[in-house]
Amino acid sequence: MALKNFLLQIAFILFLGLIIGLGINFSLVQKYFLGDFRFGFISLDEYSSIMFITLGEAEELFLERDALFIDSRSKEAFQEGHILGAVNIPFEEYKKEKALDLIFLPPEGTVVIYCDGSECNSSVELAKVFHKKGLLDIRIFFGGWIEWKGEGLPVSLEK
Amino acid sequence: MERRRASCIFGKMIRNKYILIAFRLVVGGVFIWAGVSKIIDPLEFAQNIANYRVFPAGISFFVALVLPWIEVICGVFLILGIFRYASALLLSGFLAVFLVLITATIIRGIDIDCGCFGSLSTKVDYKLILEDSILLFFSLNIYFSHKSVRVKSK
Repeated sequence: MALKNFLLQIAFILFLGLIIGLGINFSLVQKYFLGDFRFGFISLDEYSSIMFITLGEAEELFLERDALFIDSRSKEAFQEGHILGAVNIPFEEYKKEKALDLIFLPPEGTVVIYCDGSECNSSVELAKVFHKKGLLDIRIFFGGWIEWKGEGLPVSLEK
Repeated sequence: MERRRASCIFGKMIRNKYILIAFRLVVGGVFIWAGVSKIIDPLEFAQNIANYRVFPAGISFFVALVLPWIEVICGVFLILGIFRYASALLLSGFLAVFLVLITATIIRGIDIDCGCFGSLSTKVDYKLILEDSILLFFSLNIYFSHKSVRVKSK
């Protein structure tokens, strides 16, 4: 009987947390079921200039030479291989060195930011920084280096 | 038998009710603070969970919406003395999971923020293991204080 009461108490606490958590964040839950937050956890209302793109869209932009590809991985990872023509902005290193403030990019151009793939966070963080800098068209290629290389698309292995 | 043995081990340390009250205040206070700091920005917390590279995005998202509220509820209950043993057991479970995640993250060599206190989070490191272990010790003490009273009265 005591065990039953104890389990009921645990269930009550979990249920209360569930109801309050989902209730207060109901607008976020709605957005989730409308397709938001499937790749990264940024509100696309708040970061209106940021868009997540697929491998096909990234390839199209690459072939049209219509966008600047930015690799947000570390210098070492970039040197081991990157998308052909991409420039390296190693987010974590620049963040530590406070060098992100020194980067200037024209607001009108399209940039495609990528990192290691869906397990990487630096592309999203760098996109947020660019949004704050006023860039108008920021695309995050969430499949990243892993997906690009896996498809055998053009890469550079120059050190 | 195992429970009884465990409760005896903890029982030696937790009979003093003032120490137990102090434990409840510390653990409850830390979890209220931790919960509130994550409730402020659930998306940041969701990203912090995703950074551990263990859970898929959907699970990270829903855990980030619900977990901080459970932490706050348990913290408040612990301080007020409502369902204190259930709260202590739940928080002990959370702390045990956090410890496993932190240890695995260090072993895998992933350099991330722990996400424990929202934007005030520190990096995942050995200091964090120590802090969580101390909190786990406190919360298990609170939980086993209940058991030891029962065993003693038998």
